[in-house]
Amino acid sequence: MTHPKSTHVVDARYMEPPEPFVRTMEMLDTLKPGEKMLLLLFREPHPLYKVLRQNGYTYEAELVSDGTFEILIWR
Amino acid sequence: MQALLSFDKAPLFAAPLRFFLTAPLFALLAGALLLVEGEGMFASRWTPGLLAATHLVTVGFMLQVMLGALIQILPVVAGANLRHPLVVARWLHGGLSGGALLLAAGFLFGQSTLLAAAALVLGASIAMFLVVTWRALSGVPSTSPTIRGLKFALFGLAGAVGLGIVLALALARGWAVPWLALTDLHAAWALGGWAGILLAAMAYVVVPMFQLTPGYPARPSWWLPRVMLGLVLGWTLAVLLEWPLAIRLLQGLTALTGIAFAALTLRLQGQRRRARADATYRYWQLGLLSAVFGLFLLLTATVWPALAELPGFSLVVGILLLVGGFMSFIVGMLYKIVPFLAWLHLQNMCGGQAPNMNRLLPEAAMQRQMRAHAAAVALLLVAVIWPEWLVRPAGAALALAGGWLFFNLWGTVGRYRRHLAKVVPA
Repeated sequence: MTHPKSTHVVDARYMEPPEPFVRTMEMLDTLKPGEKMLLLLFREPHPLYKVLRQNGYTYEAELVSDGTFEILIWR
Repeated sequence: MQALLSFDKAPLFAAPLRFFLTAPLFALLAGALLLVEGEGMFASRWTPGLLAATHLVTVGFMLQVMLGALIQILPVVAGANLRHPLVVARWLHGGLSGGALLLAAGFLFGQSTLLAAAALVLGASIAMFLVVTWRALSGVPSTSPTIRGLKFALFGLAGAVGLGIVLALALARGWAVPWLALTDLHAAWALGGWAGILLAAMAYVVVPMFQLTPGYPARPSWWLPRVMLGLVLGWTLAVLLEWPLAIRLLQGLTALTGIAFAALTLRLQGQRRRARADATYRYWQLGLLSAVFGLFLLLTATVWPALAELPGFSLVVGILLLVGGFMSFIVGMLYKIVPFLAWLHLQNMCGGQAPNMNRLLPEAAMQRQMRAHAAAVALLLVAVIWPEWLVRPAGAALALAGGWLFFNLWGTVGRYRRHLAKVVPA
């Protein structure tokens, strides 16, 4: 799946925990330097944010009208 | 991957667990009180026994789970970390449990000393909780409707407890206060300003996450906490100004806001992507339908006040909102949270060897317990019409459901400990 914000997308909106976390980590492993990934979720994943910060990643979340948080992640 | 998963420091298990295991015992106690006291308790909403049972449910059960869950969930849903969560949990748990018992005993035996002591203990414990959580949340920007809802709900809790203290002291000291207006206002703060906003803030996260529904649309989610708190503040002003028409209007609008939230949640549940109806889903359905029915009665009473004059009206609304509504939402969430936390800790402690969540708390056990709870709701409602026949059986069903809930949760903790002992020898 692609999205205007990134071609690397994990749509975790209908996944049960901890799958969104695991899938995001797997996607991050495949990113090349300079690439960004997009995580789609119906909540803000604060525990994931913490892990991202601890591993030197930056993220930016936007809540869109249907209740999806679009979370852009890059290093 | 596993290293990263455990790198994410798991939320505490011991801190919320003590609340989750104590709460069912208060539901059991409320049922036992109905069983012992019998039909006299249902003579009006003001009988000492019913006031005691109501607060065993609202403070002993509901508040117990809500505050315990918040200690665990604030870092997860808001990224807000409490300082010394285990110490806070220990004191709060003692204060809430002792305070709920003192309050119930104060109502039941008409003892002013016990009521004043309950006001002091509950007031101090909850004030401590509010200070600690406010400190943790104040530095967190409201980037989601959940975080805004949590902040507003804490304000609602302060209002509910403040009014509760005034009412308890007025009863203990024999102050002349407008009982009906203040008690309704206390309930509005407690169920609308606190529990209602908290429920919505949590539902935004847990309904899509656990029931695989679409998300709550952003705009109404941002507005709901604001509208609800605004209405309750308006209601307070109307009571202070002794303006009965405005009180009626605000009561109607508060009920309407609750109905809108419940209707939206029912619609989302209708679009869920999981075919299986598990205990949590069924508990939420029961809670939503029961709450809509109770709120609809309140709404109708604002248009047609004669309805509220009918004997048993307040009892029916109270049963629908508290036992049918909030207790159902709470048990439904406990059935996801407790096995999930047990699983998460086992996963972290045993390096991915945790058993399936359904083995930690079997679905059949939850479904059977839920039938006892649903029977308690139905019996309590019919007992309003035939109290001499049904108050005791309703009490027995409520006690059974409470005891069974304890048994189910305790069983999960037992399986968690046994598994841990196998993998991590002491």
